[in-house]
Amino acid sequence: MAYITDYEYYENNQVSPQDENWGSYQYVTLDDIVNNFMLMYQGNNELINNINRYQVLFFAKRAIQELNYDAMKEIKILQLQVNDQLRFVLPPDYVNWVRISLYKNGVLMPLTENIQTNWSGAYLQDNEYRVLFDAYGDVLKPNDSQLDLDRITGQKKSIYLNAGSPYNGAMGYLYEGAWYFDYQIGARFGLNTETANSNPTFNINKRAGVINFSSGMAAESVVLEYISDGMEKGKDSKVSVNKLFEDYIYAAIKYSILNNRLSAQEYIINRARKDKSSLLRNAKLRLSNMHPGRLLMNMRGQAKWIK
Amino acid sequence: MPASINAVRNTVLAIANKNNYGYISPQDFNLYAKQAQMDMFEDYFYQYNNWINRENARSSGTGYADIIKGLEEVIDSFSVQAFLAQLNPVAVPNVPSGLSGSAVYSLPSDYYLINKLYRYPTRRISGTTSNSIPNSTLLIDTSQDFFTTGVQPGDIVINTSATGAAPYPATGVPGLQGWVQNISNTASPAGSSIVCSAALFVDPAVAGGEGYAIYDANNIVEVERVSQRKIFNLTSSNLTYPTPQYPCYVLDGNLISVYPTIWDGLNDPFTIGDGMGPCDVKAQYIRYPRNPNWTFASLVGGEPLFDQSQVDFQDFELPSSDEPALVAKICQYVGIEIREAEVVQFGQTEEQVDTQETS
Repeated sequence: MAYITDYEYYENNQVSPQDENWGSYQYVTLDDIVNNFMLMYQGNNELINNINRYQVLFFAKRAIQELNYDAMKEIKILQLQVNDQLRFVLPPDYVNWVRISLYKNGVLMPLTENIQTNWSGAYLQDNEYRVLFDAYGDVLKPNDSQLDLDRITGQKKSIYLNAGSPYNGAMGYLYEGAWYFDYQIGARFGLNTETANSNPTFNINKRAGVINFSSGMAAESVVLEYISDGMEKGKDSKVSVNKLFEDYIYAAIKYSILNNRLSAQEYIINRARKDKSSLLRNAKLRLSNMHPGRLLMNMRGQAKWIK
Repeated sequence: MPASINAVRNTVLAIANKNNYGYISPQDFNLYAKQAQMDMFEDYFYQYNNWINRENARSSGTGYADIIKGLEEVIDSFSVQAFLAQLNPVAVPNVPSGLSGSAVYSLPSDYYLINKLYRYPTRRISGTTSNSIPNSTLLIDTSQDFFTTGVQPGDIVINTSATGAAPYPATGVPGLQGWVQNISNTASPAGSSIVCSAALFVDPAVAGGEGYAIYDANNIVEVERVSQRKIFNLTSSNLTYPTPQYPCYVLDGNLISVYPTIWDGLNDPFTIGDGMGPCDVKAQYIRYPRNPNWTFASLVGGEPLFDQSQVDFQDFELPSSDEPALVAKICQYVGIEIREAEVVQFGQTEEQVDTQETS
């Protein structure tokens, strides 16, 4: 792909969207990667020959996917309101989450994942607790389990934290923004720090593709920071990777192809593997932006007394 | 420069006619010449492969010692680029591979091997000419303002019409494709005419005008060959399914089926109706050499007099450097015909010496 003019960069030649090319110089496109690989790394006199373009395309995409999972730090951010079922449907290109925050009163409050499950599936049962089936032999299911219903209606207990309150650390019910507590009898033992947070909590149902929030989150605005796999929903022309990873991608494709070759000698495969891993390390270091100036700012606190 | 068929014939006759009974008729000579040329033509590909292996073993040099370069030049002299004719889905309902007929194209009849298929995926605009001027290089469409359509100098212009000076679907017809030189400043209404590199739209008699399509010449994608064994796996995978940027094809007899089947580059994402069209796929292929034909006009002293002005005259297409090899091969056939073992042996020896020298 040819270099673009400054006018095309800033204004996209007045074609909408005009911000299409902003920052594009940081990236190399999938098309360029596949084309360059076919041009430079495969041929009659190269290490790799007689490969199909679709093989290169596949391995290039796989390498880009792997980079997107961690090394690339390409985080996508989506803000949506939670529905009255306390669910936030995951975006279509979601792979994993980085941070989930509640945006309220102009403040972004990071939420804590509740590892104690707050959702469940359920089967319908008769009065003798036998599971009910339909005419096709499939089990009948209700819309919500009791666990879900309690969470949605605010009847599920959670920890209340407020240092100035006598109910600090007590199990209570957060219902429509107000806390309710059982009458206290006896002593209270050990705070479960895992779930101790005055903010609502969440748990992700990956299979169902939703984030389930604790009560009190209905209609609240949630900001989801997540990672995707960089495949841009199948639009190959939009797939790109940071230039710092360009050499790594070539090395990764080369390794993947050689590693699957019947006749490739082990030392060649090993060389390709080492090449790949060292280039990945280099790219990560470059992308981490370790500037001396920033290190200096951190080191200014070295003489501080730790109380 | 190609080997001279007359020189080859004269040499063969001189060798075969040692006892004055080795005369070869023009018809027989033409048959042997065809066999010899075809044999040598195919041998070029094996030689090419052999020399690549030798090059990788460091037994080939560069510069004048670059044997592969010479072989490539000969093979490339048979290279042809031509649009493929789209199959009419109505005429052939049972298209191969269970595909929509709109994505099926027929290969040229003279191909030896398809080197690559390619297409221009970014179509700027298509339409129909509103007027044509004989012998003019103008593309005139008064319903368009080409200044606003993104058409750039250098873009590919194709006459997609079935009639006119560039008859479709004939492939390789000169004048079917040209490029945009500029958008005319003097046209009325403004921007309605494009100056093309050749007279592509020249038949004002065509009712309703001639079809045209203009493509971005900078974006060319190769349509990749995929084996029948792999095609369904390929189309089923999210990571490899064919897209306008990475199209592919499978071969069914003399037909190719192109994937994806619905996209002409005008809409993203795809919409129904973005079907593949005529002149959407182009091939670069190596054609068979034409059959050599030594022609004569009249008999002079009982001998046919060579006349290369005959309509059906066809010289050899292999280079002059192949003349000795052609003579040697033809001598082997001729020796059989005239039952002269020495001629056969001469041909075989010459060929063996030639093989030893060049390998």
